[in-house]
Amino acid sequence: MKTILIPLAWKNLWRNKLRSGMILGAIAIGLFAGTFMTAFMSGWISRSVESDIRNQLSYIQIHHPEFAANSDINACFRQEEMMSRIASVAEITGASYRLELNGMLASAANAVGISVKGVDVADEKASFQLYQTIPDSCGSFLPDDGRMQIVISRKTADKLKVRLRSKLVLTFQDSEGEIQSVAFRVGGIFKTTNTSFDEGSVFVRKSDIQAYTGLPEGAVHELTLMTGGFETCRSALAQLQTLLPEMDVQSWDALQPELGLMFSWIDLMNGVILAIFLAALSFGIINTMLMAVLERTRELGMLACIGMSRRRIFRMIMLETIFLTGLGSCFGILLGMLVIGYSAKSGIDLTFLLEDQFEEFGFASVVYPVMQLKTFLEIVALVILAGILSAIYPARKALKLNPLEAIRK
Amino acid sequence: MSAVIETKDLYKIYKDQASEVHAVDGVSLCILQGEFTAIVGPSGSGKTTLLNLIGGLDTPTSGSLFIEGEDISRLSPKELIDFRLHNIGFIFQSYNLIPVLTAKENVSFIMDMQGQKRKEADRRSLELLEAVGLGERTDSRPAKLSGGQQQRVAVARALASKPRFILADEPTANLDSKSAENLLDMMEKLNKQEQTTFLFSTHDPRIMAKARRIITLEDGRVVSDIVK
Repeated sequence: MKTILIPLAWKNLWRNKLRSGMILGAIAIGLFAGTFMTAFMSGWISRSVESDIRNQLSYIQIHHPEFAANSDINACFRQEEMMSRIASVAEITGASYRLELNGMLASAANAVGISVKGVDVADEKASFQLYQTIPDSCGSFLPDDGRMQIVISRKTADKLKVRLRSKLVLTFQDSEGEIQSVAFRVGGIFKTTNTSFDEGSVFVRKSDIQAYTGLPEGAVHELTLMTGGFETCRSALAQLQTLLPEMDVQSWDALQPELGLMFSWIDLMNGVILAIFLAALSFGIINTMLMAVLERTRELGMLACIGMSRRRIFRMIMLETIFLTGLGSCFGILLGMLVIGYSAKSGIDLTFLLEDQFEEFGFASVVYPVMQLKTFLEIVALVILAGILSAIYPARKALKLNPLEAIRK
Repeated sequence: MSAVIETKDLYKIYKDQASEVHAVDGVSLCILQGEFTAIVGPSGSGKTTLLNLIGGLDTPTSGSLFIEGEDISRLSPKELIDFRLHNIGFIFQSYNLIPVLTAKENVSFIMDMQGQKRKEADRRSLELLEAVGLGERTDSRPAKLSGGQQQRVAVARALASKPRFILADEPTANLDSKSAENLLDMMEKLNKQEQTTFLFSTHDPRIMAKARRIITLEDGRVVSDIVK
């Protein structure tokens, strides 16, 4: 019986080619839209978050607890000692020890409050990609040419009305509470996708500023750590929190909770979109299969008369639905893979919508959709499950037909 | 000859709030192996109801119904479906073939349901289609066949399960006279050659002319039973 039931169900599917074609198209486009939307949103948020992490935030940061609370310049720790204590954490792929000072940056035209990051250039470049956001025409990231250089953002440059090689004066309090003023030349102008970071941060060489802070040699305020990704970050965080119980060890989502929230939000949004799609799909399938059953009432009655069991009739209708859903899903998967695969390489430029206003809110303006295989398979499984569940009502309707009444129709 | 169908005081009564209708009213009859019998009578006389009871499509209100000695009035609905599959061939007034299957597939379908091997089912389907004169049209779908040809496929399908008897409800009602004539000749031939038992319900005088036994019903009762 299996042999004839499968080809029969397949042939039944094509009785009304237009109707089957339309619902197949709806399933395919729906599945494509669901997967693409999920990939688009995931790609957008991931890129924005990863961009922040790779440009300035890092996966994990370590501070003295008092520094984390009130940015006290004296709340520092020793670089050498920290290096030896964290050496056993294998997940760490990059580390940058920073001095972090709050001060005022002034030009001839204007002055702004600023957070100054004193860095080792080699370590910073090994950990972060911020130096890549400096166009060739806007200098470079703190080259070792003997001059006192500062790297500022395009936003800050515009506010201070300065350009490359303009002179700036940085004023801050040293460890004794004395005001220090240090002159720098603009050596590079960067631009990230995070406007608030751009507006509040500048970079100088640690060796240039160390002497003015009054802090001992090797003292730092911040250790930024890079790991292989989000998964290894969790493992490294747990180890570091055990190794450094007296320090403030925080991951990226605790340092900037709004970024962590974006990830949770995207999961929720994807879930809502998928639920709406599955509900619409289910109604479409129920409608199509119900019509298919009702217009074949007489035939189903005949099949029952000549001895086709209810179980076989039920199985036949279920098979028809599975074929319908399966075929539609195949088209949807294919379309989804092609479009996601292509746009993941080429990117989708959203500047035509709001120019660079996305970046002011920390979102990338070019989106590279990302779809994990697991998520993809989950969506496909849910679509097929929705198809099977949707088939039950029409199939039960077929079972309830009275053969004698059905055959007279 | 042994009895294939035997009914004893068979009743089918439909009740509503105001009245009750005796669609089949105490019918007792016996159909023997190899008979070519027509049940006739005016509309509403109970022909189709009696045929439905004998075919296990409906259950009697009271009385007994034996098919080769087995009382099918006691079978459960599920058992009745299985019983129909293996014991009764049906020919319907409006052919009722599966439109998406070819003539051969329509015939072999019932053998597939019986669990016969595909090769054997295919071989027998071709044999039967040859026997009903459709050896050249085995791969045609019903829509490509005339009404008479479709009814021939229906006859082949009815024979495919090797049933104990065939029930035909007004088989010629939708056919032109030539097609009806050909179909009846073919069924008569099968009856004579293979001793297949046929039981018709009909108004068609051509069937009555060919039938060797005519049972007349009126108001659910047998009013005459003539063996020619």
